[in-house]
Amino acid sequence: MTTTTIPIRRSAETRDQIINILARTWSLVFLLGMIIFFSATGPGFLTVRNISNILVSSTLVMLMSIGQTYVIITAGIDLSLGWTVGLASVVGATTMRNLANGGMEPVSAIGIGVIAGLAVSLIPGLVNGVLVAKIKVPPFIATLGMFGVIRGAAFLLTDGQNVVGNLPSVVRDSLRVVGNGSLLFYVPDAGFTWFSQPPDLSAEQLRTLQKLAPYPVLIVAAVVIIFAFILGRTQFGRHTYAIGGSKDAALRAGINVDRHLLLIYVLAAFTAGIAGVMHIFRFTAGSPLAGEQALLDSVAAVVIGGTNLFGGEGRLSGSVIGALIIAVLQTGLVILAVDALWQFVVVGIIIIIAVLVNQFQAYLERQKAHE
Amino acid sequence: MSKRLILFTLFAVLALAVVPFAAAQDAPQTYKFAFVPGVNPDPFYVTMAAGVTQAAIDLGVEIIQQDPAAFDPTVQTPIIEALVARGDIDFLITAPTDKEQMIPVLEGVRDAGIPLLTVDTFIGDGDYENGEVTFPLTYIGSDNFQGGYIACSTLAEKLGAGAKIYIQNVRPGISTTDQREEGCKAAAADLGLEVVGVDYNEDDVNTAQQQTAAVLEANPDIKGVFGANTFSAQGAGAAVQNAGLGGAVEVVAFDASEFAIELLREGTVTEVIAQKPADMGYMGVITAMAYTRGVTSMPKRIPTGYAVMRQDNIDDPDIARFIYKEQ
Repeated sequence: MTTTTIPIRRSAETRDQIINILARTWSLVFLLGMIIFFSATGPGFLTVRNISNILVSSTLVMLMSIGQTYVIITAGIDLSLGWTVGLASVVGATTMRNLANGGMEPVSAIGIGVIAGLAVSLIPGLVNGVLVAKIKVPPFIATLGMFGVIRGAAFLLTDGQNVVGNLPSVVRDSLRVVGNGSLLFYVPDAGFTWFSQPPDLSAEQLRTLQKLAPYPVLIVAAVVIIFAFILGRTQFGRHTYAIGGSKDAALRAGINVDRHLLLIYVLAAFTAGIAGVMHIFRFTAGSPLAGEQALLDSVAAVVIGGTNLFGGEGRLSGSVIGALIIAVLQTGLVILAVDALWQFVVVGIIIIIAVLVNQFQAYLERQKAHE
Repeated sequence: MSKRLILFTLFAVLALAVVPFAAAQDAPQTYKFAFVPGVNPDPFYVTMAAGVTQAAIDLGVEIIQQDPAAFDPTVQTPIIEALVARGDIDFLITAPTDKEQMIPVLEGVRDAGIPLLTVDTFIGDGDYENGEVTFPLTYIGSDNFQGGYIACSTLAEKLGAGAKIYIQNVRPGISTTDQREEGCKAAAADLGLEVVGVDYNEDDVNTAQQQTAAVLEANPDIKGVFGANTFSAQGAGAAVQNAGLGGAVEVVAFDASEFAIELLREGTVTEVIAQKPADMGYMGVITAMAYTRGVTSMPKRIPTGYAVMRQDNIDDPDIARFIYKEQ
């Protein structure tokens, strides 16, 4: 008897292992495949400068997808994150402008502006959290409502304008040092420099300037590491998965589900706040619209990264890869000069494929459970 | 604690939801003209309203202005219908927010016996002489095709024939930005520029920068970029500067908001094409006045021109006066 069952079980185990590895890594494999494809076909794709551009432009979606991952793991969703980005950028930029115009030193004005932008982002998070956790409003509805409230608030603060500009030029210059700067620069015939680009570059040399460690990328990398640590290695992270898996079980296990959910929405809004502040550094202005377009991309990044929309499972590394896939795709398609209208189609198809792969994985797991 | 939080939340939500409505004015004047812009506050329409107000003062007309909160026919329609319902309006000056959906609404205005003209935007195909819609008195606005043509012919002037250019646009299907793109392409064809491509950024500066950076990597010989609106040009300009190409690649922006002028002054964009919304507003009122007084020789189309702004002329008062006003 035993001699006949062993080979069967072994092959089933190998199959499961392969599927498991594929399911866990398919998005990474897909990302690498896309990079190889675009490198082979797109002129100028595989250059240090372009890679650096892709990384910098992915930071917005990546930051929002970090918070979104937490929320989605608890079986929720936050539709208001995009406007929270805008609100934070508007409040931050307005604060910087007013303080600097009032005679404050640029660096202090920027510092206080950053704090103001981050602080204001906590408010919508708190409201979302109260609505979802305490009043039990479905997350989709609660955050859809806040979508409108935050949007209105951001535009009220700007008197309906699209931009908060007019920052004094000293402030703008300081912002650029971070937003467009890099820890390490390289110019082929002038060598490496730290913190700032080599002085007195000719126009020709400027065009070969490479930013090897752009600050926005470093900042987002730090945020990713911190949030991945919290999710993967702390009790807070374990409780997050537990709540997403089953709220009742989490309650029975003694987890303060309401407080935890509230904190999750505050955390998500905070990542949007970081994105809003980053917008000021990169574009030396604030805008209520700063995160509007990135919201759906952030949800897509989370889904492509393998996080289950029904909660309970997901990894931050997956969302990071998801955000990179979207950025590589958008840049690659532009380099290949694919018609703009087809770009929407391609990005949409990739998202659908991602969901199908996830569903297939869930199906296999159910089958495995039945065996 | 939680109850207080709830109350506070509800209060905050309510407080934010109450949007102040502009109070209608009563005044005993001979003529009352209604003015309904496309959306406000918006620098373009704020500037247009300044032209309307100036003409009203000059002519002694009363203006009743009502602003839609969004550029959307479902928002603009009730405003126009309410103005008609007042019963004391002699003329309507409006910027229709949709060229098809606003036709029946403006027909309702005409049927109520109120003559009207459109500023900035139009209904039907914009040809009130022989087109599908002819009842509005006239269409006063700049020709966006011509604006795009001017933008890219200034590029051709600077860069010379054979240069490669790239277009950053908002999204296909918006009549004004579509026409600017077409105008730019026509200028490129006439003057020997090569258009490398067009990308759409959904009015998102992050996307505009990403796309332009990618295109500059793939085509290092691009010499000019046309941004069909402010965010398009801002993102394109930021990408150009990050690539170390500031000064080597020309970036032309459409529309002269204060923010666009800020970008011009700091060098992110090299040229701004300004429409003349104040002209549209002023011409709208005097044309309406003339019609009300029985003048009959009105042209069905009154084109307003453009001003081309550069770093070296932006402090010239004759140019600077076309910068859009914020308030």
